[in-house]
Amino acid sequence: MTVRALLCVFWRHLREWSGDAAYETYVTRARGGELLGRQAFYLDSLSRRYRHPTRCC
Amino acid sequence: MSRLVSSLLWLGVALLGAGALGAIALGRGEPVNGVFFVVGAGCTYLVAYRFYSAFLAAKVLSLDATRATPAERLDDGRDFVPTNRWVVLGHHFAAIAGPGPLVGPTLAAQFGYLPGTLWLVAGAVLGGCVQDFVILFFSLRRDGRSLGQIARDEVGRRAGLLTMVSVLAIMVILLAVIALVFVNALKDSPWGAFTIAATIPIAMLMGLYMRFWRAGRVMEVSAIGFALILAAVVAGQWVSRSPEWAPVFTLTGTALAAAVIVYGFAASALPVWLLLAPRDYLSAFIKVGVVLALGAGIVLVRPTIQMPALTRFVDGTGPVFAGTVFPFCFITIACGAISGFHALISSGTTPKLLTRESDARLVGYGSMLMESFVGVMAMVAACALEPGVYFGINSPAGIVGATAEQAAATISGWGFPLDPTTMHQLAQSVGEETLLNRTGGAPSLAVGMAHIFSRSLGGERLLGIWYHFAIMFEALFILTVLDAGTRVGRFMVQELMGRAFPRMARTGTWTSTLVTSGIIVGAWGYFLYQGVLDPLGGINSLWPLFGISNQILASVALVVATTILIKMGRRRYVWVTLVPTAWLVVVTLTGSWQKMFHEDPRIGFLAQARTLEQQIGDGRVPEAKVADTRRLVFNNRLDAAVTGFFALLILALLVEAAVEWYRIAAGRKSAPLTESPYVRTKWVEGSP
Repeated sequence: MTVRALLCVFWRHLREWSGDAAYETYVTRARGGELLGRQAFYLDSLSRRYRHPTRCC
Repeated sequence: MSRLVSSLLWLGVALLGAGALGAIALGRGEPVNGVFFVVGAGCTYLVAYRFYSAFLAAKVLSLDATRATPAERLDDGRDFVPTNRWVVLGHHFAAIAGPGPLVGPTLAAQFGYLPGTLWLVAGAVLGGCVQDFVILFFSLRRDGRSLGQIARDEVGRRAGLLTMVSVLAIMVILLAVIALVFVNALKDSPWGAFTIAATIPIAMLMGLYMRFWRAGRVMEVSAIGFALILAAVVAGQWVSRSPEWAPVFTLTGTALAAAVIVYGFAASALPVWLLLAPRDYLSAFIKVGVVLALGAGIVLVRPTIQMPALTRFVDGTGPVFAGTVFPFCFITIACGAISGFHALISSGTTPKLLTRESDARLVGYGSMLMESFVGVMAMVAACALEPGVYFGINSPAGIVGATAEQAAATISGWGFPLDPTTMHQLAQSVGEETLLNRTGGAPSLAVGMAHIFSRSLGGERLLGIWYHFAIMFEALFILTVLDAGTRVGRFMVQELMGRAFPRMARTGTWTSTLVTSGIIVGAWGYFLYQGVLDPLGGINSLWPLFGISNQILASVALVVATTILIKMGRRRYVWVTLVPTAWLVVVTLTGSWQKMFHEDPRIGFLAQARTLEQQIGDGRVPEAKVADTRRLVFNNRLDAAVTGFFALLILALLVEAAVEWYRIAAGRKSAPLTESPYVRTKWVEGSP
């Protein structure tokens, strides 16, 4: 694997980890129904995430 | 690699680790280098991961790589998303690692470096990692259900209720104690207070950017936010030297406590996109970056450990907090060794992201090893300080005195030489008025980190910048936990109140939001306020209370796990969860008993209340302070009641579970598991 390819993999994983790629993942994987727009998806994902413990002590 | 080479390699790793830990444990008189801690802990983690976690995965849990995970079966691109295991590892680690593994080991360093380090390593390998791994696996087999739901389904309805109550109670104490650490780190520090105050508009700007202009662009907005925060750290130095602005940001403990309480209420009630989420994104990046930098710094600088292996304070007379090494070392260090709160994360988002069951080993067991390593690094940073300086920073004025001269005389009398000018010079070099009596662990950790960072980059002239960068780093994710915890606590209160008043369960209404936010903030705010008023620094009473509640939650999780193992027919392996459960029950019940009934007023809440009452009765309390002292009497009784409540919680759950275990063992009850049915994965090995 070349350095460039390694960096690409790292970048892709970093975007997944940070949540930057969440909307693209959603568009790829969503099943049926009407797709949410980027902004609506962002707000929806936040309201779902912060209903449960997400950060520990 | 041949079996022989592999065996020799692992034997080498084991011997290297044993040698490093042996040097730490047995070396006396000779200064120990911090690298021994890194090597000893690192090798132990490698061996534990390779062998013990493999045993858990294969024999105890029987992870099945052919079984489809909830992320595969229920994939919706939102909650359930099959994700690369290294990405999930990063998610999980960022979620479990908070201020606990940094502050706990720093406080426990008063016993010397040895007890805390051994507990961090052994506790994680045999307890914390096991808890995180098994709960993650059990949740994975139940469509990502929460710990409370699993307890209700597998142990009984009462167990589910007890779990929910203990989660809410620990949340209140947790938020109070981390808020107290925050207050103690920033009081009378205009540089620190300005930097942290600046993070609020920065986070709001990031929130507006992601809400209206570039929805969900986390990376670019975090880069902007990080640049602005660095600018705020540098600008803080100018503020601290400005005759006009320095007084504005020089806040007393009570003023800061009031500010944090107002902030917590606002963060809970405001839309999540405005403040909570952007701060969380920023905090996650900075947390991971600083932890990696600290690890690299320790290897680069190779700091010499100044603290002895054991100090005289193992006898319980420590100034940082009172209590003997057993049980208090094991309560003080919860996160980093074993933390019940992790069970909530392991049964939350993480199981909904795992692509394969076999990934649970890396994510559950592996990420807890990483957190333990963070704890070991915090121990190194704290113990690399001169012990006299460490005790000068972490001891309350009520014990060592409020002036550098008084503190130096007291601390030198304990056998840890301290020159008053050392404290003055240190404070000046980091841009603070004073570092004396800055209890809570955060300032001494920041001094230790600043020394390591400045010796790697920038030298002494950047010590002040590095110190305030470290303070910002700690305060930033304390606030993140405060924001997120208050919000979750609010939802729990809404759910509980909704049973009696259905209107309160409507999370979207302002009345419900404001009332329940007020209840949860009022609860932790009260404990915070009493901690700020406490003449012994607050940490002495609140941190053990937090440790006890967190370890009790861990016991709850392990009891639930033991029940499921019995139901799975793995009785011969129940020791993997039963041994850490038994240890935690002994530790927490001993700690609870001592915190309630110990005759030393610094340890026992009731003894402290009696002493204060007697002082009022004897007329030894000035008239102006009688009302405050009466409040302290009440607070100590309240703390005793809360401690007793925690102890009763675990006893009740143990009885409930033991009855269940007996019924199953005696064949009086069938033991159906509530696992989701087996579905074969559609993915072949190696994809996606």
